Amino acid sequence: MIIGLEEYLALGALLFSLGFYIALSKKNAVGVLMGVELMLNAVNLTLIAFSRFSTSDITLSTQVFVIFIIAVAAAEVAVGLALILVVYRNRQTINVDRTTLLKG
Amino acid sequence: MSSFGFHLAFWLLAAMTVGGASMIIVSRNLIHAVIYLVISMLGVAGLYLTLSADFIAVVQVLIYVGAISVLMLFAIMLTPRAERNNTETSLKLPAAAVMVLILTATVFVALDTDWGAVRQAALADQARLIGQSLIREYVLPFEIGAVLLTAALVGAIALARHDDEDAAIHAQSLQAEADGTAEDVALLTDPPLVEVEADAGAGEDGGS
Amino acid sequence: MPDLVLGQFAGVDMPDWVDALLRIMFIVALMTVNAFALIYLERKILARFQARVGPTRTGPIGTLQSIADALKLVTKEDVRPSTADRWAFELAPYIAFVPVFLIFVPMPFTETWFIRDLNLGLLYVFGVLGLNIVGVIMAGWGSDNKYALLGGVRAAAQAISYEIPMLLIVVSVVMVAAGRLATDGDVSAAVSINGIVADQTTTPYILLQPLGFVIFLIGALAELHRPPFDMPIAESEVVGGYFVEYSGMRWGMFFLAEYTALFLIVLLASSIFLGGWNWPFGADVGLGLQIVLTLVKTSVMIVLVISSRALFPRLRIDQLMSFSWKVLLPFAIVQVLANGIIMAYGGPDWVVGLVSFALLLALFGLVFALTRTRKGGDTTRTIQTTPARPRVITSPEVTAVEAGGGD
Repeated sequence: MIIGLEEYLALGALLFSLGFYIALSKKNAVGVLMGVELMLNAVNLTLIAFSRFSTSDITLSTQVFVIFIIAVAAAEVAVGLALILVVYRNRQTINVDRTTLLKG
Repeated sequence: MSSFGFHLAFWLLAAMTVGGASMIIVSRNLIHAVIYLVISMLGVAGLYLTLSADFIAVVQVLIYVGAISVLMLFAIMLTPRAERNNTETSLKLPAAAVMVLILTATVFVALDTDWGAVRQAALADQARLIGQSLIREYVLPFEIGAVLLTAALVGAIALARHDDEDAAIHAQSLQAEADGTAEDVALLTDPPLVEVEADAGAGEDGGS
Repeated sequence: MPDLVLGQFAGVDMPDWVDALLRIMFIVALMTVNAFALIYLERKILARFQARVGPTRTGPIGTLQSIADALKLVTKEDVRPSTADRWAFELAPYIAFVPVFLIFVPMPFTETWFIRDLNLGLLYVFGVLGLNIVGVIMAGWGSDNKYALLGGVRAAAQAISYEIPMLLIVVSVVMVAAGRLATDGDVSAAVSINGIVADQTTTPYILLQPLGFVIFLIGALAELHRPPFDMPIAESEVVGGYFVEYSGMRWGMFFLAEYTALFLIVLLASSIFLGGWNWPFGADVGLGLQIVLTLVKTSVMIVLVISSRALFPRLRIDQLMSFSWKVLLPFAIVQVLANGIIMAYGGPDWVVGLVSFALLLALFGLVFALTRTRKGGDTTRTIQTTPARPRVITSPEVTAVEAGGGD
């Protein structure tokens, strides 16, 4: 068996769905962030796989794109964790089930 | 690329990545979950290496493992023990159903489509090429990314600091020192935080 | 590919990965001996500073002291606190230990002796260095001890803060290397450690980037938790820091990792700033003597690092953080900017060196102004930072509350 594009894509899909499940199902806000990070990683993996196996010459631009995704992910985590701290300070919890102020 | 070593590396790294991600779901302890996340990220970095994306692999380790996971550990440690569980919400079952749907759809598309893919030659001298294209073709996104990171930095600091109460106490002690009345000092190890009643806080926030 | 393959000695032709594995094992063995030697050296040097003689009883002039210590550690019971998080506690030493040895892969000992020459060597070193922070946090958290937790969090905060100026300085070094290699060589070698060393045959980069060298050294002291930046393991503040609950061989692993990291960072600094295996001014004395020169440069810097333990008082934790973020980081950014501007306008090397030296003087001047003392010995309070808890206040209400609580 030769490991080709399909294997990497399937792996990326699996990682993405695991991250998706974590982001939707975890009670803890940090857990939700972890799920989002996994999803971003899965997307990056897929992009790099395409860059290596594509028919056209997109290797370089894909890698640059992945770098931008990583930078945005870093910014997102920094702001996300600061938000979590603020939520904890105001509500004494980081349980996403209990931050339900907008429900009235 | 069908040598035994390559196969072994791919399957081991795939197992590491998926195993780490699954253990995040299973693990009841949030700190353990972050450590499993680190394992999963390292697996992804290894997969980048199998795809000959050396630079991306190193950046992955540097940023995800060295910075993001440590930030998460910090955030967990700044919240109390009771918040360190990692249980699921009531949305568990619908989330699992949607996850299975997404998984089936994407894997079907991935396997069914004829990608006509050929393995490209690995990019030689990646770091230099990426650097060049960052300041030539992609200079605008690059600058926007820099602004975004700066904004995120400032925003995170502005959100996370709570200086009003600290600054007041600090100004008081400085004033006392200046007045020369600092002899009879009381050592306050843990100043009481401003107590926010859950209901009162809810009322305020809801009203505003 | 390195020319000097180990198999040549034995006369066998072996595959690449066996060769790499043998080299790594050789390094691990070497570093164990290195740790013994460094512990002895540190005890002796510190003793000299404090007008003592240090270990003398075990072996000739105490040279077997570290081996005796190691034997004690091996035979000691491996205790785990009953409330500890077993999983994190037992795994942490390995996670702190393994990355340090992985970093040795691109480290050049001589022109031809390294495990593998990575073309992204410098980035790789810093990427892997970040891994052992996770081990330190796991140790601090898993011990279920508040001092260990505090030590672990301090260590991580410190490592992250000082990594940023260090990385920026590495960027400025890479810029200088790329500028020099652009005229007479391959630019892509500028990120490989071996490429940088090879470029320093006549001019070591300490002459071009003196500010970089100083910031790198300060950052290295902080990364290694060496005094004056040893708040994470300060006995008088957090007992022993993140490994306070460890005993026996697990504690020994932390110790071994620490001394190996000391050797490693110093080797890195001597490679990228002092010219590694190059003899000064382009003198060529053959491969065999290069290792001697590498070790001499490394040893001088190790003695420097060890002496700083006796020479400088410990900082406060908030001073430590503000020093990194408010002093070192701006200087590192200015250094990168200055390099960029000079090189964009085609300035010669000596201008780069001169500007860096001027910046270094500015840094020294700033530190001197911030830390200068009055004639009476009373420190002027030029840095007014909000102190960390516990804080001293004189509010009458609180005094009343305290008095009331005492009744």
